Amino acid sequence: MAGESTLNLKLGDFGTFVIFAAIYAAGTLGLPKISLLAYQVKIGEIPSAFVALFGFPAILGLTLGQFIANLGVEASPIAMLSPVFSFVGLLIIYRSRKFSTLAGCIAYIVITGFWLSVMLPIVKPEVSTSQAAISVFAGQFIAVIVGYLAYLVTARTLSKQGQSSAPQ
Amino acid sequence: MRHAAEQNESQGHVPEYYEHSIWPALIGLGTGVALTGLFLLLKGLIFPGSLLLLLSFGAVLFGFLYHDTKSWASVVSRSFGRIPRDSVLGAFPVDINLTIQIVILTELLLFGGAFGMYFAIRARFAFWPPPGSPILDDFLPRIQTLVLISSSLLIEWAIWQLKRGNVGAFKVGLIGTTILGSLFPILQLGFEWPHLILNNILTPATNFFGASFYLLTGIHGAHVVAGVIAYGYTDIRAFMGQYTAKNHGFVEATATYWHFVHIIWLFLFALLWQGSRLLT
Repeated sequence: MAGESTLNLKLGDFGTFVIFAAIYAAGTLGLPKISLLAYQVKIGEIPSAFVALFGFPAILGLTLGQFIANLGVEASPIAMLSPVFSFVGLLIIYRSRKFSTLAGCIAYIVITGFWLSVMLPIVKPEVSTSQAAISVFAGQFIAVIVGYLAYLVTARTLSKQGQSSAPQ
Repeated sequence: MRHAAEQNESQGHVPEYYEHSIWPALIGLGTGVALTGLFLLLKGLIFPGSLLLLLSFGAVLFGFLYHDTKSWASVVSRSFGRIPRDSVLGAFPVDINLTIQIVILTELLLFGGAFGMYFAIRARFAFWPPPGSPILDDFLPRIQTLVLISSSLLIEWAIWQLKRGNVGAFKVGLIGTTILGSLFPILQLGFEWPHLILNNILTPATNFFGASFYLLTGIHGAHVVAGVIAYGYTDIRAFMGQYTAKNHGFVEATATYWHFVHIIWLFLFALLWQGSRLLT
């Protein structure tokens, strides 16, 4: 997989980078919105766990995708900081892939959930902090865990393919 | 002299008569001169002088075409003819990675300037889009986004198949990418723009948002068309058997350009269609 063992980027990784950015941005902007209390569940968050497979190009892609999506949805300066927190969370998922991708995903939910819980009442003053926290954490949990299950299936399929194609 | 240059070319070198050519520099300078002339003309300043500047660029272009068109037929025929069917090109005479990096850098500068213009205009308005701007229906742009995502995925799959030696699957993926890529300008020029212009929903004359909209989507659309032409050329070479698991630099270069065009579209989709719903 691209960037599996290193954080160095090659020109060939550009496709992975763009595809992940597109999945996040188009998933958030182009697909129907799923509302959970005060928060919109972002479909673009689903591929987060896949950074464990696709590495640094996917991390950069999802971060840029979130930036682009925020340009079209939130457009407030504070919302533009969200990709920084996502980048840190995604980096943790990638770094934790050798012992537990699930632990990395939970760290991602905690980091991004905390930031969004702080930000949401500022962007939408009608939303209380507790309401924001509950809806954000639930929304992030649903999206990331759905993605984690899809990641598990993909990783196992790839692992089986690798075993069957290995020389006997 | 020309004969020796052709011999070099057949051995994989860039022809000598293209090395140290003065024409790229002249055309570059001429473009600057022409833009200065155009600026003066549009501002209504120094009319004869601006006309002279534009004409001088025309003269440079004429000189280049007069000098260069003589060799075009042989360049094209050598490009296809010197490589027999089912053979492969040698290694690229120049580093394809460096070449495409330079291309992407110049494209970044072009689109950076265009987006800079958009944000500079936007910053001058208390509300954006300005009053009178329509909320744009994003149904077609969603389809266009889907088309671009599918084409990016398909070309990556095609390259992956080629690297595994599955040339047949690679060709299917490449043709599929070309067809999907062709859909984008068809949707834009055949449906989106006519719908907006003929129904007087948004035209370049509506306001600054309209002018920015057509400028940005127009520049991007031209790049998509260039990408489709590049894929068409890549298809021809693929069916001449010129790509293998170890020799596909041109395909990767075309795919990189395509991905770049794709990411620019995401910005346009967010800013122009989704952004038209925001009053900031």
